[in-house]
Amino acid sequence: MEAGDRAEDFIQAGLVSFGIAADETELAVMGAAHAMFWPAILALLDLDPGELAPEPSPDLSLPPATP
Amino acid sequence: MSTHPLDLPLRAQAAAIAAGEVDAGEMLTAALKRIERRNPAVNAVVETFPERSREMLAAAPEGPLRGVPVVIKDEWPLPWRAQRFGAAELIAATDPTPGESGPYRALRDAGAVILGVGNMHELGSGSTGNVSFYGPARNPWDPERCPGGSSSGPAAAVSARLVAGAVGADGVGSIRYPAAYCGLTGLKPTFGRSPMAGHHMDGISTMIVSGPLCADAADCRLLASALFGEELAAGTAGGVRIGIVRDSVTDDVTPTVRDACEEAIRALVAETGGELVEVELPDLEPAALAAVLIANTEGLAGLSPSRLASLDPELSPIARGLLKYRMLLPAAATVKAHQVRTLMRRRLAAVFNGVDLLAWPTVPAVAPPLQAPLVELPSGTLTADQANVRGGALANLTGTPAVSLPVGLDGGLPVALHLQARWGRDELLLDAAEALERANGRRWVEALPPLAREAEPTEAG
Repeated sequence: MEAGDRAEDFIQAGLVSFGIAADETELAVMGAAHAMFWPAILALLDLDPGELAPEPSPDLSLPPATP
Repeated sequence: MSTHPLDLPLRAQAAAIAAGEVDAGEMLTAALKRIERRNPAVNAVVETFPERSREMLAAAPEGPLRGVPVVIKDEWPLPWRAQRFGAAELIAATDPTPGESGPYRALRDAGAVILGVGNMHELGSGSTGNVSFYGPARNPWDPERCPGGSSSGPAAAVSARLVAGAVGADGVGSIRYPAAYCGLTGLKPTFGRSPMAGHHMDGISTMIVSGPLCADAADCRLLASALFGEELAAGTAGGVRIGIVRDSVTDDVTPTVRDACEEAIRALVAETGGELVEVELPDLEPAALAAVLIANTEGLAGLSPSRLASLDPELSPIARGLLKYRMLLPAAATVKAHQVRTLMRRRLAAVFNGVDLLAWPTVPAVAPPLQAPLVELPSGTLTADQANVRGGALANLTGTPAVSLPVGLDGGLPVALHLQARWGRDELLLDAAEALERANGRRWVEALPPLAREAEPTEAG
């Protein structure tokens, strides 16, 4: 299966799951967004931050409590 | 350069009014006339309300901005007007209503006069400003070019010298990109330091801050001081240590942008007796995506399938498609984005033990055409949004302050340098920006786009 087909399947399946309709223009926008974001999302998911857990309720006005 | 009061820096306008050299009422009238005359070319201001402005002036306290006209982005409610967010419909957890937003109160208490509302990229979801319910804002340097976004109108308004200062908002670079495209100085404050009350994402967003856009750093200092409710002391940035990162954010940029930014950094080092330090800061691209994911998912509270089924047909197809795509973002990616946030906050904290500032181009190329916001970079053709987020997102992701300042022109369009500092060191960013202005003889902060060089008709005062 080609990547383009998979993208179309992902978007269509997602829309159907939520019961959301989309016209052709919206589908084209979603396809372009998917093409732009999805490879980077997959790379992000593969990123290994080790044992790092997200800061609980970080105070973003300050440096992290644990350096 | 014209000596019309509207062409003075914000601080000089305030001083002239305070000294009785300029009548604030006449200034307000002149500014409204200038908007009538110049705004059609740039669509920066989407609404004025002369009676409300005159009421603000009549009630203005003896603050540091008494009588000075300013513009505020369409992201903030006013007592007489709800924000529209540049869109036919604001998708939020609560419907927008008029009210006293934090920036409104800060401006009012400083004595400023809100003259109008600045255009913005629809729903704040773009770095170009070419999509808006009100029609695109246009870049005063070239009306066929993007002004940057999402604070497109505030930037275009200051660049066209409709006003000398404007308040924007920055969720993923949205003050700094338009500042860069329009040749201004724009400050993204440390998270939590500037007012957010009344914003429809207040208490939800961990990314968005309010902040100033002005011609230069001293004006940004004045307006930021009003917003913060505390005076931002001026220093010299002496001996500042500037960190340089070798990454796509510095390398995948046009040659002119790279050269102008490198020259500016060298000049800043020389002016301050500073030091250049090469630093390691890996994973900037995943960090940018993490910022986009967090910003997008924080806005999901207002979304539901039923809401998406009844979107205002006047929302752009881009907005409708992107809102629907947001619903499909995998939760695992957002969790990973928060891990990356922690990772980058720790890395930045470590980096800022060794340097005072990080420097790189704000945007990798000058403002692209409104009709096709693409940029040609060494790596190929990218959308401006894809390219811009590399440099702008880290400050929002980590909560750190950053500033964009003009450092050159390329084909008649502004080039900008981005400086980022440790949490709470907003003042140092402005000190460094002022040092660079001294170093280059204020050449770039005083450069004017063609629209702003037009002579003022005598009847406008």
